[in-house]
Amino acid sequence: MFFHNFKYSLKTILKNKMLIFWTLAFPLILGTFFYMAFSNIMESETLDTIYIAMVTDNEESAVVTALKELNNQTEMIVFQKETKEVAESLLAEKEISGILFLENKTNFVIRENGIKETIAKYVCDEIIKMTHIIEEKINVTLKEEFVENQKEIEAIIFRCMEEMNQYFQNYVPNLQNENHSNLNYIMIEYYTLIAMSCLYGGIISLMAVNQTLANMTEKGKRISVAPVKKGIIIFSNVIASYCIQLFGLVILFAYTIFILKVDYGSHLLKMIALALTGALTGVSIGIFLACIFKIKESLKLGILLAYTMFNCFLSGMMGVTMKYVVDQNIPILNQINPANMITDGFYALYYYETDSRYYQNLIHLLLFASFLLILSSLRLRSQKYDNI
Amino acid sequence: MKNIIEIKNLTKEYKKKIAIDNLSFEVKEGEILGLLGPNGSGKSTTMNCILSLLRYQQGKINILGKEMTPSSYELKKEIGVVFQDVAVFDELTVYENIDYFCGLYIKEKNMRIEMIQKAMQLVQIESYQDYYPKQLSGGLLRRLNIACGIAHQPKIIFLDEPTVAVDPQSRNNILDGIKTLRQNGATIIYTTHYMEEVEIICERVIILDKGKIIAKGTPDELKELAKIEEKVHVETTNLNPKYLEIIQQMANVEEVNYDHFILSIYYKKGQNNLTKLIAFLDAEKINYTKIFSERPTLNDVFLELTGKELRD
Repeated sequence: MFFHNFKYSLKTILKNKMLIFWTLAFPLILGTFFYMAFSNIMESETLDTIYIAMVTDNEESAVVTALKELNNQTEMIVFQKETKEVAESLLAEKEISGILFLENKTNFVIRENGIKETIAKYVCDEIIKMTHIIEEKINVTLKEEFVENQKEIEAIIFRCMEEMNQYFQNYVPNLQNENHSNLNYIMIEYYTLIAMSCLYGGIISLMAVNQTLANMTEKGKRISVAPVKKGIIIFSNVIASYCIQLFGLVILFAYTIFILKVDYGSHLLKMIALALTGALTGVSIGIFLACIFKIKESLKLGILLAYTMFNCFLSGMMGVTMKYVVDQNIPILNQINPANMITDGFYALYYYETDSRYYQNLIHLLLFASFLLILSSLRLRSQKYDNI
Repeated sequence: MKNIIEIKNLTKEYKKKIAIDNLSFEVKEGEILGLLGPNGSGKSTTMNCILSLLRYQQGKINILGKEMTPSSYELKKEIGVVFQDVAVFDELTVYENIDYFCGLYIKEKNMRIEMIQKAMQLVQIESYQDYYPKQLSGGLLRRLNIACGIAHQPKIIFLDEPTVAVDPQSRNNILDGIKTLRQNGATIIYTTHYMEEVEIICERVIILDKGKIIAKGTPDELKELAKIEEKVHVETTNLNPKYLEIIQQMANVEEVNYDHFILSIYYKKGQNNLTKLIAFLDAEKINYTKIFSERPTLNDVFLELTGKELRD
């Protein structure tokens, strides 16, 4: 039964011109427009070195030492120690992209939004996060060993310093020198394009699931009175939707890599893993919309398209600045935005080798998809309806 | 004949409105049972409750001696349903549509091929098997809808107004197909608001109104519920109103009216009142262009029982 339904589900999807346009053709068309609009920029513009001033009251601290070491490893970001006044003056004159304050409280300040500032922010966010971890670790060590075990103070400090160094080595972003020459302003556009393509999988699953529900369509009524478990029908439809969605992504990747010559860097497998998860999220959004709202299918599709486009817009499809503005002002919006989770994951892979940020996005996407699938399955369990 | 379907005290409420009110009836093996009633009388709701698509507040539904639930897959194998609205995939051809729905019941491919051919022959759409639904006329689409519902050769078939908005040729074709299904041994539950269809194909009829059974029996038994036995209509252009009173006083006459040049006379008894009426018209030199007699219809029964027309 699974294969019978799967086969016909594939047929109905592939013969539906509207579905094919939005899921397969539209991303290719949009990608071509990006290429035509930005190809000159791609050729001429590469990202210059990002200068960040660090203001610290302790030049001997492990953080400062590690950042100085980082300057020797990459040309992409240079941390220069300055006084607060000089740093602020340099920022005002746009000589630097931001100021990292490493004082009592760690903080990163910028003057304007832009690609350099966005990258600088992500790197400094990692540093701030890491600093908090170190502080926490020191507190725990002090409490355990000094207060409870009454050990020698010198030995404790030595242990703390050792651990700090170790943490630092693990957490400092190791920026990719190898991609430096390819850094350009439109990569984020392609990331959002892939994110959009992933989320458009929801259109397929929405239509595939909608037509199996007795309270939504006449076909659903007919399927519901057949001697087949609803779960099998829905599962086979969802798998068929996912397969078509993956097929669309393969075409999109192939088209952008081989025809448009987009260089996604050296993490293609991780990118594919993220895209697969993104596609799963797209499919789950479609299922959720299909079964939660009892409204016309066309209206559901309209909601899905608008939701996807809005999310892509927030994640930087119309300009990377928007992504940063949202990050700065309404960060929760990007944290629940699946398009941003996808683009941010790609971003993390492309601009710096911080696996933690990549995996964080991957896990967030999985959680997001799981949440929607659980809600949908609770709703789909209902086999009788109040009205149809 | 044994009961194939038994419904006892079925009550369905929706938003505090009673859609089905304590309904009890049974369907006998091999019969065509008509569920007749105006729009909103509860025909489709009853059918959807029987099929376990709708929740109901009270009652018991047994099919082939077993309680019908959403997971009664063995029972569902024996049931075929043709819903009121056409339920086919626009992206699949006629053949593929029938194969898809038949495949939900029949796994074996060769058996399915044979069944699909028979279903297409029954509703006469063999020559359209490679057409897509959008290429079909409304009547052919309805026939495809029926083929999708009955291709797996079920023992029990529910037909929910299958002839709505179809041309006369397709309608006759569909009704002939239903009779053939009955001859092949199927039990059919046929819901409609077309009384003529019920009179043509149904052996037993249940008339519903506001979710209640208001009458049931064979078409002839039901017609006996009407107060009249014969209706005569005369087309005449200049009838003097004095004749209305004279005709009203004639034997067996229940009611007389003259509207839009049609004189209608309703007789309480007898089926040969026409001869006497013609003799009267000739004697009074009343010219007429057309005169005909008819037996009471189920609409008259419905009118008698509810005070309103079936198609109100």
